[in-house]
Amino acid sequence: MTLYAFYFLSFLAVMGALMVVFSRNPVTSVIFLVMTFFTIACHYMLLNAQFLAAVHVIVYAGAIMVLFLYVIMLLNLNEAVEKQKTLLLKVAAIVTGGLFMIVLSAALRTAETSYIDTSVVGSARNLGKVLLNEYLLPFEAVSLLLLAAMTGAIMLARSRKRIKPAPNVVGMTHEREQTKTVVHEQ
Amino acid sequence: MSRADIIFLLPHLMLTLGAVLVMMAIAVRRNHFAVYVLTCLTLIVALYFLPKTASLPHNVGVLFVVDGLGVFNTMIIMLAALAVALMSYAYFDTREERTGEYYMLFILATFGACIMVISGHFVSFFLGLEILSVSLYGMIAYLRKRERSDEAGIKYLILAAFSSAFLLFGMALIYAATGDMTFEGLSGYFSAFDELPILVMTGVGLVVVGAGFKLSVVPFHMWTPDVYEGAPAPVAAFISTISKGATMVLLVRFFLAIDGFRFPVVLTIFTVISIASMVVGNILALRQQNVKRILAYSSIAHFGYLLVAFIAADELGVEAVNFYLVAYFATMLGAFGVVTVLSHPERDAELLDDYRGLLWSRPALATVFVVTLLSLAGIPLTAGFVAKFYLLASGISTNQWLLVILLVVNSIVGLFYYIRIVAVMFDSAEEREARPAGYVGNFATLLILVVLLVWFGVSPQGLIDVIRNLVGVG
Amino acid sequence: MTLIAFIGILMAGGLLAWIIARWNETLSRWIALTVVLIDLMWSVAILVSRRPDFSGTDWLIRFDYPWIGRFGIGISVAADGLSLVLLILTFFLGAVSVVVSWREIRDRVGFFHFNLLWVLAGIAGVFVVIDLFLFYFFWEVMLIPMYFLIGTWGHENRRYAAVKFFIFTQASGLMMLLSILGLYFIHGINTGTYTFDYFELLTATVGTTAGRWLMLGFLAAFIVKLPVVPFHSWLPDAHSQAPTAGSVILAGLLLKTGAYGILRFVLPLFPDASRELASIAMTLGVAGILYGALLAYGQTDFKRLVAYTSVSHMGFVMLGIFSFNELAFQGVVMQLVAHGLSTGALFVIAGALYERIHTRDLSLMGGFWTGTPFIGFITLVFVMASLGLPGLANFIAEFLILNGAWQASHALTVAGAMGLILAMAYSLRIMRKIFFGPASDMASRMSDLTLREKVVLVPMTLLVIFLGLFPQHVFNASEKTVKDILGVVMRSQADAIQNANENP
Repeated sequence: MTLYAFYFLSFLAVMGALMVVFSRNPVTSVIFLVMTFFTIACHYMLLNAQFLAAVHVIVYAGAIMVLFLYVIMLLNLNEAVEKQKTLLLKVAAIVTGGLFMIVLSAALRTAETSYIDTSVVGSARNLGKVLLNEYLLPFEAVSLLLLAAMTGAIMLARSRKRIKPAPNVVGMTHEREQTKTVVHEQ
Repeated sequence: MSRADIIFLLPHLMLTLGAVLVMMAIAVRRNHFAVYVLTCLTLIVALYFLPKTASLPHNVGVLFVVDGLGVFNTMIIMLAALAVALMSYAYFDTREERTGEYYMLFILATFGACIMVISGHFVSFFLGLEILSVSLYGMIAYLRKRERSDEAGIKYLILAAFSSAFLLFGMALIYAATGDMTFEGLSGYFSAFDELPILVMTGVGLVVVGAGFKLSVVPFHMWTPDVYEGAPAPVAAFISTISKGATMVLLVRFFLAIDGFRFPVVLTIFTVISIASMVVGNILALRQQNVKRILAYSSIAHFGYLLVAFIAADELGVEAVNFYLVAYFATMLGAFGVVTVLSHPERDAELLDDYRGLLWSRPALATVFVVTLLSLAGIPLTAGFVAKFYLLASGISTNQWLLVILLVVNSIVGLFYYIRIVAVMFDSAEEREARPAGYVGNFATLLILVVLLVWFGVSPQGLIDVIRNLVGVG
Repeated sequence: MTLIAFIGILMAGGLLAWIIARWNETLSRWIALTVVLIDLMWSVAILVSRRPDFSGTDWLIRFDYPWIGRFGIGISVAADGLSLVLLILTFFLGAVSVVVSWREIRDRVGFFHFNLLWVLAGIAGVFVVIDLFLFYFFWEVMLIPMYFLIGTWGHENRRYAAVKFFIFTQASGLMMLLSILGLYFIHGINTGTYTFDYFELLTATVGTTAGRWLMLGFLAAFIVKLPVVPFHSWLPDAHSQAPTAGSVILAGLLLKTGAYGILRFVLPLFPDASRELASIAMTLGVAGILYGALLAYGQTDFKRLVAYTSVSHMGFVMLGIFSFNELAFQGVVMQLVAHGLSTGALFVIAGALYERIHTRDLSLMGGFWTGTPFIGFITLVFVMASLGLPGLANFIAEFLILNGAWQASHALTVAGAMGLILAMAYSLRIMRKIFFGPASDMASRMSDLTLREKVVLVPMTLLVIFLGLFPQHVFNASEKTVKDILGVVMRSQADAIQNANENP
């Protein structure tokens, strides 16, 4: 039963991922992405990781994808304006991807994985215990990671125009023009 | 967490505290100087709290290994960060953009690097790397008015995220095969094999890809010149030294733990990467007209050289890596320091023409630059020479003649472009516009760096003793 | 300690001259001159005081101090007769260089003297160190200031010449570094003592194949510096583009370091490999003699011409060294001194001419003898020295070399002797072009030597004549060294013969 569920979900996940790439309409892409995320969340359930599954749905399928949709709709990206890649790039990408797939399938086909008892991991309770005992330090360090990410994001997202102009702005603009010409010359 | 654990992690905790304090200081009132002083103080305090040598090594749980290697490199990273901070003040002070957040990201990035050098577990490894990377995104794109800063930031963001994915996947594969994520545990697992199972091999390979991106070794180097060019000069200095150095130390720790060079395939991978980095880095550098790009390619080549000692992976090799990192840090910081000082508020001093006749118009600064370039080229009387000598010695002692000879040949190729910059500085001076006034911090930093470069070049024994005491394998 | 002081004084003087020049350029020149003269006096005093006991077994002066203990690197310096002779030559030509730059160098005076003194320090270091790491160290130290000398104060094409010089010497130097390291590890693994000490490494047993490769590494550095055809192409550019002082030092001293290196390191460290290579090396030497002389004849640029004569004269050195007998070795030592003096003087004259008529083109010169006989006379002396006129130092040197080489190879000696005839041709061409023939437009601009130039050239003339008449002084000093080196080679030959006899 679990095995069939796994195959079905995997099929959906792969199809969804492919559709994300191939569909021309960005909104469709995003919808398929949501579907992929959901199937992956289901995989987590199969692995007895309910907490991870829930977080996955809430964060990815919920928050991030909604934001994504908003952005796409606000930017009105309905027409694909992406320029075509050159043939060389395409071939290179296919070769690299293919090689990587061969390596991976070779690695995974004969792999002997160490056995991990899934009944003691995965649930919210177990996860919480591990995170707040054994991995307390990294768990707290993650907050710094988030702090860095937040600061970076706010800093990057702030509008360029809001920067207070310097007092000697006249001289500066003049120099800026000069600089630009230099940049173009090279 | 015991009390001892906290004592051993005090430098890192101080950095965290510093980041929070900086954040609060910005919230109260934006004052560039105050934030800058706070940053420097944070680093100094953190340096002060470095664990004493006698008490090493100490394991903090399974996650962190506070040993000589870690402490020594934490110290180097913090000192380098201090140098970058000193340079940053002058740099951002002349550019009328908001400056507070930079220091916060800066401290966090340093924190990430410091985490990396003491991590003995995949989780801390990845976490350190991510804190470093995520902070760097913001720092690279910090000067929002620059045309290329966005491009550089985005490029770094996408490629770093991509390489993190590889790294994570690699770690997952290794974990799947071994059921362990501590370096110590892995060491036991690896010692049982004469030849790696293919799953583990793939995992190691993917980890190398992820780390290779951070080290910017060929073929994972594509981002380097663009990012260096687009990033503010102090940030470029940060990437080329701290970010790379921390990754290198981590790789040393990991591969020493698993004794990775017993496996021919790992040896082959790194040999190829080393050769490719040396050759590609130097050859591409030859054609550049942009000093920041030259330094970028030069740093690629230098990590190719460094891998020679890394591959040796014996006592001499680890010493060589550490010595090289010190010399390389001082040199690169000096070089980027000069670029920083010369930079115009609107544009970094990156064209060769910006340096024409520098020796006559600003002799002191030019002398600094000449010394750093000679050190990069590995000319005697500079630290770069002793460092390169160390590499050659470790390479020859492990009979890697191919690598050693390529190293020498590439050093010669490297001479061409270093000497070209020197030659440009020797050109007759022309009338040039007034430069922005100097900052004491800048000049003090550069002076100290030059003194260090010459000192380690003339009398390296002291540094060697320190490294041997702290890092010595045997 | 004396030897360290020689080098230390130069380095400190260089720094001082650089700093002082900000306020007073003349003072900076005087400081440089004083420093070099102190060294010169001191070294001559040592030579004079130690004269009787050159035959002793110990080295004259020795000083050891551990430097980088990790690698067994020590600050070890020692001087024997050969080193001392070359040291004196170094300081003498150093003083000459300072004086000839008195008027020629007008901008960045301080930096110039800094570089000049540091080149001298590097060269002096090369002649006295007996730690192989330190040897490489000084080998490089003399390189960078030389690069600056050529690249900053040189003639029109200086940048190209400087880079070419730098790359050639640096590349070959790195080969030597590899060999030094190879030797270091081979000896270390064999005996357990990791050291760069010359005397310790002399006892190293190196396998035949390894020995060959290591020797080639050393030789690469030395034959580029010497230079031996076909590795000479940096030399004409560097010599002709350098300022006068640079040319004097390049021709008079830098080339000598190559010969010194072969004598001091290649032969004693790798006697077997050296013997194997002897015939090739001698052939290259003869090729250099003939090729240099032929090209010298074809030059129109005075300095370039003199540069090619250096290639020719250094061919004799190569021929002599690989003849492996005492006569030839003594000739080589003499050639080093004599060539340093005569070629140095010719470059000084070229500089003096350039200062007056602002060209080095021989075709624009002519008929200067009538107006300026003194300069003509001095030139005549050195041109004659260069072509090997008996009674002058070069004659002794080349005669001994050919004499010694005759014992090694008749054919090559004959071919080498042809070089003397070619030397006659190009030497006389110099005189004819510059001082005789129809008076050129330039003749009116000529003036005779100033006092400052006389102070330089007259002692050089006297020295060349003195050494030509009393060469024994040099031979006495270098005899012990030469015999020691020869002894090592002979022992290896004897061993080889014995081995061949035992295992036919």
